[in-house]
Amino acid sequence: MKLKHSLFSRRQFLNGLIGGWLGAMLASLVYPVVRFIFPPYKEPDEVILLYSDYKNIFPNSVKIFPWGSKPGILKKNDDGSLMAFVGVCTHLDCNVSYMAEQRKFFCACHDGWYDEFGSNIAGPPPKPLRQLFISVEGEELIIKREEIE
Amino acid sequence: MKKTKNGGQIRSWLDERFGLSSVTQFLKNKSIPQHKHTIWSYTGSAVLLFFVIQVLTGFMLIFYYKPILEEANASVARIMTEVPLGWILRSVHSWSATFMIAFIFVHLLSIWINKAYRRPREGTWMTGVLLLFCSLGFGFTGYLLPWDALSFSATKVGTDIPRAIPIVGEWVTKLLRGGGDVTGDTLTRFFGIHVCILPIFLLVLLAVHVYLIQKLGMSIPLEAEKSQKKLKEIPFWPNFIYREAILWLILFGICLTVAIAFPPSLEKAADLMAPAPEGIKPEWYFLFLFQMLKIFPAKILFINGETVAVFLILLGIVLFFFLPVIDNKPDEKKGKIIKAAAFLFILYVVIMSIWSLM
Repeated sequence: MKLKHSLFSRRQFLNGLIGGWLGAMLASLVYPVVRFIFPPYKEPDEVILLYSDYKNIFPNSVKIFPWGSKPGILKKNDDGSLMAFVGVCTHLDCNVSYMAEQRKFFCACHDGWYDEFGSNIAGPPPKPLRQLFISVEGEELIIKREEIE
Repeated sequence: MKKTKNGGQIRSWLDERFGLSSVTQFLKNKSIPQHKHTIWSYTGSAVLLFFVIQVLTGFMLIFYYKPILEEANASVARIMTEVPLGWILRSVHSWSATFMIAFIFVHLLSIWINKAYRRPREGTWMTGVLLLFCSLGFGFTGYLLPWDALSFSATKVGTDIPRAIPIVGEWVTKLLRGGGDVTGDTLTRFFGIHVCILPIFLLVLLAVHVYLIQKLGMSIPLEAEKSQKKLKEIPFWPNFIYREAILWLILFGICLTVAIAFPPSLEKAADLMAPAPEGIKPEWYFLFLFQMLKIFPAKILFINGETVAVFLILLGIVLFFFLPVIDNKPDEKKGKIIKAAAFLFILYVVIMSIWSLM
């Protein structure tokens, strides 16, 4: 039944009401499900390593450390300075390795290459390896996600 | 055959309650048209055979497999070395998966080429394509479960691919991995998907698929339909089923033989921190996609090459799904082009797969 000046009939109004109510109920059920299936995940802000474990690596070689659930790569350059990278390929997330003889990082998954400073030089990687920032405080080697003053 | 009095009573008791006679009557009347493409009608039941083998061997493997980071690899090693005949069961499970996917491809391609999906069988094709994706999902999740270095890296790549899709991609990757990285959480999640979620989806889809095939009957070739000549038919029961049974026995024999001769290997347990091993590759049915991702350059003009590749793959999937709707004039020029596209697709997949192995 529709009144003369009404925009919709009583049936339409009730259908809308029930539909809206069902929709709202469904949304309130879906929300916790969505929250549940995405576990909290946070990349570490920093990791602290024992400097003595890492300072004696040879120039032009690397040592792996755990950066959350990814490998971190600590590399000693020829001048003795240290660099740290997140050791996963920027193409499709495979763990990379350092080829000391060729002075390159290599990703075996799709034949991706980076130079010794982590710049992408060949193959599919779209970006350089992500660099991490190193500081040494006493006996501690601190590796940070961002450069903090 | 003479029925005993008791047998007849039990049958009528059951029939009164479950109405089985309508089903048996249907099967008695069902017939399979005979023509030069009839051979392709056997591919569907071959898929079904391997699916049943997958379910049964899967039930067995679940008794020993442990879906957690610390134990997954060791539990598979135990199945292979300690559990009596465990190696055969795992090998059959792995080989039967390969045969199942292979026959799904043959099944779908034969339908594409013979245009058996044409009106009113679009729904049968679409549920079939969804069944293919379900099966590929089984393959992808099952590949990780032994948790060795190869499967770990392949899963890192596979779950990272959606990330190239703008906006939602990041969430899809997180959803698949159960976090930002492939870890023990991913393993447990993949196990749940492999043994619980996908089976339910697959069974529902399969029910719809088989129902549609029964409701719409077997498709007959386009030429036969045009000439309106009455095709020879053979009864489904028992003539066609017996022919299928012969094929099932042969295929089962082949599957068992290769499973015993070439059991799948098991590498050392995956190390989250170790570099990807050289020569990583996914299961053979993903090789052509793997090769495509490998040859795409990092940048195409100013767009990320990977994003372009992923969008091309998605476009391919959408076209494939809607193929019967697109191919709405099967006996005209457009239909012929779409048929030729099937052969081009086969050629593309074969070349890319071989290239990826070189």
